[in-house]
Amino acid sequence: MGFLKRARVKSPWILHYCTGGCNGCDIEILACLTPLYDVERFGMLNIGNPKHADVLMITGPVNWKNREVLQRLYAQTPDPKVVIAVGACAATGGVFHNCVNTLGGVDKVIPVDVYVRGCAARPEAIIDGVVLALQKLEEKRSGGVAHAAGAR
Amino acid sequence: MTLTWPIIIAVAAVLLAPLVGGLLRGLDRKLTARMQGRLGPPLTQPFYDFGKLVGKSRSVSSRASIAWVWSYFLLTLTAFALFFLGQDLLVVFFILAFAGGALAFGALSARSPYARFGANRELLQMLSYEPILLLAAVAIYFQTGGFTVYSVFEANQPLLPFLPLVFVAVLVALGIKMRKSPFDIAASEHAHQELVRGVYTEYSGPHLALIELTHWYELVLLMAFLALFWVQPLWVGVLIAFAAYFLELWIDNIAARLRWSWMLGASWGVGIGFIVANLVLLSVLL
Amino acid sequence: MSGELLVSLLVLLPVAVAVCCLALRNAAAQKVLLLPAMVLLMVAAAALALRVLPEGPFALTPAAVWDNIVAVLDYVILAYFLYIGVTSRNGLVLGLAVVLAVLLPVVQFGVLGGHVAVSPVFHIDALAIVMCLVISVVGSLIVLYATDYMPAHEAHLKLERTRQPQFFFWFVLFLGVMNGLVFANSLLWLFFFWEVTTLCCYHLIRHNLTDEARENALRALWMNLVGSVAMVAGIGLAYNNAGTISIQELVTGGSALVLLPLALFCLTGFTKAAQAPFQSWLLGAMVAPTPVSALLHSSTMVKAGVYLVLRLAPGYADTSLSLLVAIFGAFVFMVTSLLAIGQNISKRVLAYSTIANLGLIVCCAGINTDLAIAAGIALIIFHAVSKGMLFMAVGVAEQQIGSRDIEDLDGLAARRPVLTIAAVIGMLSMLFLPFGVAFAKWAAIEAAGAQAGWFIAVVTFLAVGSAATLVFWSKWLGRMLSGPVVETKEPKPFLAYGTILLLVSGAVGLSIFVTPLITVLIQPALSGMGYDQAFDVAGWHLRTTFGFFPPWALFLAVAAAVLLPALAARGYRKELDPVYLCGVNVDGPELWFTGIAGEPVQATTGGAYWTQLFGEARLTPLSNWSALVLLVALLAGVILR
Repeated sequence: MGFLKRARVKSPWILHYCTGGCNGCDIEILACLTPLYDVERFGMLNIGNPKHADVLMITGPVNWKNREVLQRLYAQTPDPKVVIAVGACAATGGVFHNCVNTLGGVDKVIPVDVYVRGCAARPEAIIDGVVLALQKLEEKRSGGVAHAAGAR
Repeated sequence: MTLTWPIIIAVAAVLLAPLVGGLLRGLDRKLTARMQGRLGPPLTQPFYDFGKLVGKSRSVSSRASIAWVWSYFLLTLTAFALFFLGQDLLVVFFILAFAGGALAFGALSARSPYARFGANRELLQMLSYEPILLLAAVAIYFQTGGFTVYSVFEANQPLLPFLPLVFVAVLVALGIKMRKSPFDIAASEHAHQELVRGVYTEYSGPHLALIELTHWYELVLLMAFLALFWVQPLWVGVLIAFAAYFLELWIDNIAARLRWSWMLGASWGVGIGFIVANLVLLSVLL
Repeated sequence: MSGELLVSLLVLLPVAVAVCCLALRNAAAQKVLLLPAMVLLMVAAAALALRVLPEGPFALTPAAVWDNIVAVLDYVILAYFLYIGVTSRNGLVLGLAVVLAVLLPVVQFGVLGGHVAVSPVFHIDALAIVMCLVISVVGSLIVLYATDYMPAHEAHLKLERTRQPQFFFWFVLFLGVMNGLVFANSLLWLFFFWEVTTLCCYHLIRHNLTDEARENALRALWMNLVGSVAMVAGIGLAYNNAGTISIQELVTGGSALVLLPLALFCLTGFTKAAQAPFQSWLLGAMVAPTPVSALLHSSTMVKAGVYLVLRLAPGYADTSLSLLVAIFGAFVFMVTSLLAIGQNISKRVLAYSTIANLGLIVCCAGINTDLAIAAGIALIIFHAVSKGMLFMAVGVAEQQIGSRDIEDLDGLAARRPVLTIAAVIGMLSMLFLPFGVAFAKWAAIEAAGAQAGWFIAVVTFLAVGSAATLVFWSKWLGRMLSGPVVETKEPKPFLAYGTILLLVSGAVGLSIFVTPLITVLIQPALSGMGYDQAFDVAGWHLRTTFGFFPPWALFLAVAAAVLLPALAARGYRKELDPVYLCGVNVDGPELWFTGIAGEPVQATTGGAYWTQLFGEARLTPLSNWSALVLLVALLAGVILR
């Protein structure tokens, strides 16, 4: 099964979901697709459908309204999968910390594998986070337990 | 004709097609990236994608869907094998239509709005390219006196000099069948996210891998059909097919997606119009 | 049994049974009468086939007194049409009946000079046997289906007094008349049977007695009367030009003088086969109870029209008439297939599909090569079996779920699994290779392609029509296959389900064994008509000089490709996941999502009909005028030649 395991790392398809941040991180994520960073070099694709995704890339602090959405997207992503929380909001709530309408971070709702810091997170950091996530993905078996790790 | 050689060729083709098709798709992504000023993924990327999808867990939202996706694969394989056995082109295209139908049935069975919209558009795509493929087979008969692939090899002249307009029409059909802009309306290839993923929305993991594998077979079949336009000698036809493939990629990268009414107009107006003009010219001039 | 007896049995047994039906008021008694009678009819048809196929055509001339009886009955029917025209105040019916009332005596006594002996009156060759088998087997099964359907139909309408005796009278009578029609060699006899089918059809469409039913019945009547007028004129011209009213002599005579009468007979056939611009009568006929549609569309009525065109084909081979017939048929095939895309009423889709397939048969007759005629005959058989079955299935669905709208058939598989599987196989058999209808389409395209010149137009129409066929069947078929699981029991009336399943297995079985079907039935029919063998059948493959079709090999491959996954998917027992709805699915029920105000909303997807392009409002006038132009060109081409 060497090839399959290797293939898992070589072909991360990313579902990107914003849970209510300022869109700064989202723009940086899209910047990764541009010729300057060109993440497709590593087989990464931005996919619009959780059923096809391997990596959930979440930005924003998560509010009460989209909490369930996040849970369902996570549930609909087939195993093995990893979750990357991109940016300060996704990690702790960021500037929205302690706001009544937010939950203060993605890990309040779904297990997170990798945190990418920054406000907004830089594309290099995001790519670094994905690489870290892929290492975790390689180790994962279907339905494995998630352990958080930090990038930068 | 004896069946020994055709069977050897067909078995070899069935075994090699995934390799060729996968590399072609890799070339597609590489070239597309280069045209956009990027480096792009390695040539072997489609195989990694395939392997990863096979290893993922299944998510099934309708039993009928998974039945039809297997039918899609097996029927395409049947059409593919028939082609390389040198069989009747119309039979090949009819079976290929059955395969396309199976893909649409699978998406319609899923009951997801995205999949169903995609399926309806897939049917519109078939409405657009089916007449072209059928008429192209007739045009080949006009030139060779037979409807079979075998008869093309029997003929002593290449087809392209006599059927140039038919070739152009087939290119239109090829663009639709390869799901390239401007007519990738059913599933939005290259992670364009209109309609989520259209017909493929409800498939995941191994089923998606199966669809990808089927696309490879389809692609090789279409390229082989293009190569038929110049089989004396065959390598010229293969070069022509590669040139056509490159042309499709180029068009894909410079064209925006158009509406289905445009697609129907282009394929019926240009496609059918060109074939009919070609056949009329042939009967008048020769 | 002697041939005479079998022929009389096939024509007169249904007539006798029909009369008996008038006296029977309850369902059980009808079944007791009809079941053995229909079985007897099928056996008689088979027996006649076993006699004619090895021994060659069978000729029969009844006593001369029958000629007079038929002549008198002609006028009785004509008087009845006049009566209908007067009482319904329908100018078209009245006018055409008056024209006919003037024309018929002129032709019969003026041109023909009273009495013309035609020998033989009945000429039963292999083509007639093919038709007779279709009528007697498919038709009889539909009659049996009707015995289950009609009581439920009347219970639904809450009639005070049953109208079933009248219904079964016209219904069963139809079979006998059709048998007579396909046996007839004398044009006068053909005309008589032709008029009786028009009469039966009128009464069956009218059966429910609603305003719509009456109106549509009258439309069917006047359109068919147009054909009758053309036929009578054709008979007169044929006798005038060629001195004969025997179909065999006309067809084999090879005289260019008979082209005009043949063109008129083709026109007659087009009206009966509901070809554009006459398609509206067949579309209107769906107001009748579903067994009527099943009967009209599959084994009787419209098939008489294409039978006539096909029967006369050798007479106009290699003429411009043949080309025009081919273009006309192919054009009708294309436009009606496109029109079917825009329809959401299941019976209307089926009706358009029927007209399209009849157009294809007409086109085959026009292409007029060995292969094309073989395709036409094969299509008559395959279409009858599949289409009869589909109408029956749709009828049952309509009775059980109360709708004929395709939108309501969405997800039928969960509610009516047996019926859905039958219908899906029926649709696949209409649509894809290796099933028979698609095989005939394949043969037609290759035959048309093999002709040069103007046949480019024919083959273009066929290619576009073929793609349109794919779309309208697929978008209907695909939606029936999965649905929310509902705990309901599927009621399965024995005769209705039994006949549907028999026809489904017939459609599949005949398609698998298409090669023996061709060697046993179609090749003899071809040689009876003066054509050569269309196929080399070595190894049970079908090989022509330019194409190759391996039925059983394809069946093995396709069966493996479709059945194995279906069986495997049935065994998939894991729980199903919800579909993707942007992550706002409501837990529990399928296809519900949370709306903008937090309320649950159901996600529904209707079918796609693209009516701005394929709707009747847009396409019908276009198709009618084009078809009319083609018909005028067809007649003008023959007259001016």
